[in-house]
Amino acid sequence: MNNIFSQIKRSKEMGILAILVVISIIISAFNSSFLTFGNLLDVVKSNIVLGIMSMGMLLVLLTGGIDVSIASVISAVTVIIGRFMVDYSSNIFLIFVVGVVAGSLMGLINGLLIAKLKIPPIVATLGTMSVIFGLVLYLTNGNWITGIPQNFIDFGRVTIGQFPVAGSDQIQGIPIQFLFLLFAIALTWFILKYTMIGRGIYAIGGNRDSAERIGMNSENITLFIYTYEGFLIGLAGVVHTSIMRQVDPNAFIGFEIQVIAAVVLGGASVLGGYGSVSGTIIGVSLFCIINNGLILMHIPTFWQKIVVGIVLITSISFDVIQKRMHDKKNIKVDIDESESSFKRLGVAEKSTSQA
Amino acid sequence: MNKDIQKKTKQTETPQEENRMRRLVKKVHLETKELVLLQILIGVFLLMSILSPGRFLSVYNLQSMAYQFPEFGIFALAMMVIVVTGGINLSITYSATLSSILGAVVLVSLNNLGVPPLVTIVIGVLVIIIISIACGALNGLIVAYIGITPMLATLGTMTLFEGIALNITKGGAISGFPDMFQWFGNSAILGIPVPLLIFVLVIIATYFILQRSSFGAKVYMIGCNPTATRFSGVNVRKVLFLLYIYSGILTGFAGIIMASRYNSAKESYGYTYLLQSVAAAVLGGTDISGGFGKVFGTVVSVLILQVISSGLNIFGVNRFITDVIMGMILIVVLTINFVNNRMEEKALLSKKVVTA
Repeated sequence: MNNIFSQIKRSKEMGILAILVVISIIISAFNSSFLTFGNLLDVVKSNIVLGIMSMGMLLVLLTGGIDVSIASVISAVTVIIGRFMVDYSSNIFLIFVVGVVAGSLMGLINGLLIAKLKIPPIVATLGTMSVIFGLVLYLTNGNWITGIPQNFIDFGRVTIGQFPVAGSDQIQGIPIQFLFLLFAIALTWFILKYTMIGRGIYAIGGNRDSAERIGMNSENITLFIYTYEGFLIGLAGVVHTSIMRQVDPNAFIGFEIQVIAAVVLGGASVLGGYGSVSGTIIGVSLFCIINNGLILMHIPTFWQKIVVGIVLITSISFDVIQKRMHDKKNIKVDIDESESSFKRLGVAEKSTSQA
Repeated sequence: MNKDIQKKTKQTETPQEENRMRRLVKKVHLETKELVLLQILIGVFLLMSILSPGRFLSVYNLQSMAYQFPEFGIFALAMMVIVVTGGINLSITYSATLSSILGAVVLVSLNNLGVPPLVTIVIGVLVIIIISIACGALNGLIVAYIGITPMLATLGTMTLFEGIALNITKGGAISGFPDMFQWFGNSAILGIPVPLLIFVLVIIATYFILQRSSFGAKVYMIGCNPTATRFSGVNVRKVLFLLYIYSGILTGFAGIIMASRYNSAKESYGYTYLLQSVAAAVLGGTDISGGFGKVFGTVVSVLILQVISSGLNIFGVNRFITDVIMGMILIVVLTINFVNNRMEEKALLSKKVVTA
């Protein structure tokens, strides 16, 4: 029992969860509408895309990679499905297929560049970002796509269940987009926990050479990760369009930084090998709640970036310092043990000399 | 017995020979890399001149290029010195704009108070440099002394700097400098644009610091293996800290040039240079995982990228397509690098077989 407690205390996720709880209490002390069902539902709804994409980014960070092209990929996906449903078909199933296939293909390109041509992830994705974003802006001229078919708009408005909102007569349901977030979380969790690929992802992130020696095919795993990330981005693109009901090619400028920041807040290490789905969920929630809280506390939007920057720096610093202190403790233990063993040797020597 | 000893000495000798050969190949490889870059620059320059006769090679175009690329080049060097250590500095553009915005506030308020322009400008420039040093010191503190991965640390400071800058400008631009301030960005000495002169000074300074000083040697050592460097008695933290400050100072110079050229200061100026400077450093032969990279290579690749983008601009190519082409160049060059390395490895292997 004691052991479990100390394990919980030591785990990274619990630390972030504690911060999350403290910040929630502070915000709700300033504004009572924060902890209402309606507000929390809004927070979730406006961050579903961030949540889905953070799952893909988690896998990439776990292997020690990084992907800065995600914002351009989701822009491209939204533009492709926007044009597709306006010009060709408003079949919802087909729209999903097109979005997911487009996203996966772009992810596959990243994967090929990184796994087969051994281009460092940050450089490869910088390149694809520049290419994809350039093409998107050239082809759309930065113009919005409007006139989304009615049946797709109706699909985006579907809600599940009915919950009375406290303090008013309104009834709210959980938006259907939430299901896709759950799906992305469950799938990522399953892959990491129960498949060989998931084990391989952690192994590669920990130590690529030893992972290869125990038989992990790092090339194929890398290919899979970036394609899977593209797949999730495709999904997120369709979900985003169903929420916004129009396509803005410029909507995602700078979004990659937000996703990376949210995942890193959740305890994933950019050096690879450490990070979890639960941690990422907490990190994304923390990121969203800070943003929402600043709005509720009537702090000018200009302050948001400062707060996010400070939270990012302090939370990682805290983490690093904590780890260093933990390591120091370990070293001390080693020295103590060796000292005592020396002493034991000394005793043994004495005893032999006496004999 | 004698034969056995001979065999043994032979066995111990071969790895040394191998090492020497590999080092030689590496040396030649690096030199040829820069030669290739120079050839590409000349090739691209000739291509542009031939394809648009009289327009690319016009005095007007060359001059406008000479005013444009210094700020890009300074950013690229600020990025490159950090990439050599195996890090990355994502905060360069916002460090530049934050310091130029604070400098602009000082410039404007002193100007309105009626302080003589020369004094105003000296104080303003000093403020910009001091703030840029502070930005660099913050990065250095977080990376070197706290020990956060450079990418995350500078991601955090980038957001922080942007936030502070936005808070000061409220999203607008600050203008109303003394007219003399434009000297830094828009005038020339003996026909040589001032930004270009500043850039040349920065190149020389960076070259001596990085490639001709013991400090620079330590920087490359850290890029190769920080742990081994620490155990060989180098104060890794101090070197990294100072290097981030140097990177910060360079962004301050870029900030002065940008504020002067646009005659205003805004938080989003120069944002596109962030990714381009990574591209320029990598194209110039800097290893993104650290340890390799030369000032000359970076400067030449800055020139190549500038010639291409100016040329495409003259052809009337859409600027988004220019982005596409830039990205393609980055990917294609790295692919060629990969294929080259593979072929060299194979050649080395076959040579080994022959000598054996």
